[in-house]
Amino acid sequence: MANEGAVQVMLEASPDEIYDIELEHSLLEANAKLAVENRALLDKNGITAIDFMGAIGSGKTTLITKLVERLKDKFGVAVFNGDATTSNDADAIAKQNVPVVQIATINGCHLDANLVGKGLKRIELENLKMIFIENIGNLICPAEFPLGSKARVVVVSVTEGPWMVRKHPHMFLGSQVVVINKIDLAEAMEVSVDQLIADVHSLKPDIKVIPTSCKRGTGLDEVVDALLAI
Amino acid sequence: MHEFSIASGLVEKLLDFAEKNPDKKIVEIRVAIGEFTQIEEEQLSFCYESIITEMPIAGSRLTIEPILGQVACPHCSYSGLPKYWEGALSGPPVATLECPACGKAAGIIAGEDCSIKSIRYVQRENASVDR
Ligand SMILES: Nc1nc2c(ncn2[C@@H]2O[C@H](COP(=O)(O)OP(=O)(O)O)[C@@H](O)[C@H]2O)c(=O)[nH]1
Ligand SMILES: [Mg+2]
Ligand SMILES: [Zn+2]
Repeated sequence: MANEGAVQVMLEASPDEIYDIELEHSLLEANAKLAVENRALLDKNGITAIDFMGAIGSGKTTLITKLVERLKDKFGVAVFNGDATTSNDADAIAKQNVPVVQIATINGCHLDANLVGKGLKRIELENLKMIFIENIGNLICPAEFPLGSKARVVVVSVTEGPWMVRKHPHMFLGSQVVVINKIDLAEAMEVSVDQLIADVHSLKPDIKVIPTSCKRGTGLDEVVDALLAI
Repeated sequence: MHEFSIASGLVEKLLDFAEKNPDKKIVEIRVAIGEFTQIEEEQLSFCYESIITEMPIAGSRLTIEPILGQVACPHCSYSGLPKYWEGALSGPPVATLECPACGKAAGIIAGEDCSIKSIRYVQRENASVDR
């Protein structure tokens, strides 16, 4: 192949034929800029967007549904769902009669600011005060892709075992609130919620940690308060 | 896998360079990865190599330079390397946002970016033959 020949020649080139161009080109900047644009648009309309991350099954959809239930009569709420693992997800939220935008990602990895920006163009922003964004259920793709939200919430559940924070420490640094969900199952799972809280605080001392059971309704008022304070 | 998105952005930039500079053959590319980005070196290299196989920049080498994180504390005015947490089971100790001096919450001041630092190329004697 012609290409292979070319590479051979390269490797044999004498050092004085090799040049360096110095440049400083951020590979994260393109997304970061779009995130700033999203944020400006949201701010202009007086909307607080909150991004929910966490493993598949940790309870993101359930939690968002409960939050919508509590808030939708007070002010306009919309939901962006990037994690449509099943159509149940969308259906559960759609029952709440609030605008729901499904966002399909190309590589199924994470939402990015571009996709969220497109979503923002598809809904009426005027009467909204809050947008909940459910990110893809994924523990490894986090902070590099800001969306323009004002705060990030990580939802973990005790069913992920006692070492979940220690196994995925990176997720927490860029977040403001951690919800430890399914505490109704903590005893059965033999998981210490206090230990999970301590683990999170070793990574980020000022992060707000709220244990919840979406099933029983425990801790949900606290989550609402935390989000309204953002 | 976020490394794939990053590698795609990198390749796009390099192809752009290659197109604008047909007399230059890219042999190496240096990328700096900040400690707080959570981008994995090995995964990024793997993605890079898989993407470029059939491209004009095939055969170019990706060299990664890790950049240490730095934090600053608004409570005690500490500024410098972060505190590392030994509790992580995911790999080596993890840089945290706990102030190494006073234990309160510090903020990141360095190590949050991932950027191209330099492109190494050879000048083609005869661009038309090489292409
Ligand atoms: N026992 C218990 N189950 C829960 C709780 N919260 C959510 N679940 C269940 O966990 C499963 C996954 O929840 P879902 O909200 O779809 O998770 P997502 O993938 O993070 O959106 C569903 O069957 C929920 O009913 C909880 O607090 N306790
Ligand atoms: Mg879901
Ligand atoms: Zn301090």
